[in-house]
Amino acid sequence: MRRVLLRAALTLPLALAGGGASAADPAPPADAAARGAYIFQAAGCLGCHTDEKAGGAPLAGGRALVTPFGTFYTPNITPDPVNGIGRWTDADFVRAFREGKRPDGAALFPAFPYASYTRMTDRDLLDLKAFLATQPAVSAPNKPHDLTPPFSWRFLVPAWQWLYLTPGPVPDDPAKPPAWNRGRYLVDALGHCGECHTPRSVLGGMDGDRYLAGNPDGPDKDKVPNITSTKGKGIGDLSDGDLTLLLETGLTPDGDVVGGAMGEVVRNSTSKLTAADRAAIAAYLKTVPAKN
Amino acid sequence: MSNRVVNVLAAASVAGMLFATFGLSAAGAADPAEQVKDRQQTMKKLGGGMGAVAKYVKNEGATAEDAAKGVATVLAVSKMDPKAIFPEGTAVGVADSAAKPELWKDWNDTQKRWAAVQPAATQLEAAIKGGDRAQIAQALGATSKTCGGCHEDFRVKKN
Repeated sequence: MRRVLLRAALTLPLALAGGGASAADPAPPADAAARGAYIFQAAGCLGCHTDEKAGGAPLAGGRALVTPFGTFYTPNITPDPVNGIGRWTDADFVRAFREGKRPDGAALFPAFPYASYTRMTDRDLLDLKAFLATQPAVSAPNKPHDLTPPFSWRFLVPAWQWLYLTPGPVPDDPAKPPAWNRGRYLVDALGHCGECHTPRSVLGGMDGDRYLAGNPDGPDKDKVPNITSTKGKGIGDLSDGDLTLLLETGLTPDGDVVGGAMGEVVRNSTSKLTAADRAAIAAYLKTVPAKN
Repeated sequence: MSNRVVNVLAAASVAGMLFATFGLSAAGAADPAEQVKDRQQTMKKLGGGMGAVAKYVKNEGATAEDAAKGVATVLAVSKMDPKAIFPEGTAVGVADSAAKPELWKDWNDTQKRWAAVQPAATQLEAAIKGGDRAQIAQALGATSKTCGGCHEDFRVKKN
């Protein structure tokens, strides 16, 4: 029902605009792209969708994501009409994030973290789209994934979605302060922290019982630490200042600077957030139940 | 004994002592496992310096003086020759080295990255002298960035 409503909401303005306009979506609000630029950073799109090491153009895709299921090559998300997402409608865009579906209806592999992004609000999604539309189009073609069967069988992905995808968005918890709700949204929806910090089941779904408890077999075969409030192992011993400074600069309490995938997250994403948003992330993480 | 013989003997013993001290320590430092350990200590020192400044920025008990001492340590390490810290033959596999072989692939680039630490730390030092916490935080971030770039590309993930 919700989906029907969503589609109706997205197509209604079109119908009203009628005549003159072609099959294009309504023009986004004036501040959409500017808001979208912030969403873009908070959601960390740039890192995965750019083959930085090989000198690839920003957002033109091609970066290899090595996972236990095989190697994914990220797609081009520039506004190029052929190889990018230039022809996508607003509804196409929202559906990809919300339901993990391509415009042609085929399922997207969950290497695109829609199990997290599904929690994004419609407004944030459409603003993000408005921002992406302002980026230079690059015609770089997409590279096929290199996956191990059965993970390469796209027709099985809907079953995976049935198991592991709970379409969002998730309403705020009125019993909790606004900063906590904002923090949860940044951690679970935009930041998609659980995609690396939550261990996966054999079928590759995030294991909800071990939410943010660390992943021994993370991306690029790295071990990913526990970020629950566990003392000693997680972040239970870190102060709010420790957490916000880490998110801002990558500095850990012992003066080390994080590298690896988190270094990239800090560089592309968390260092660019507002101080209030970093504080919200810290406030939320401190309430995540301890797991060993 | 003639003076000449005494002189020769003295010179020889001095040379021997010199060899014993420097020769041996040079031989010790050439042991890759030892070099890895030295590097880890250097990095720990560097981290201690950064950590002291961070503690001040977070307002968690460190004084401005602690921060000044911290940045002095960072500066001192940044002035070291990266070749001495990262001698060839100390990549991952040697003792518990975490340095990826890529670090030595384009030494010019590595050197350039290392050289970026010093100007950033100099600015951090100036900011600490200035006393503006927001500015210190910003300069600390900029300095961390010069560390993090290499950690991201050249350091094997720690457990």
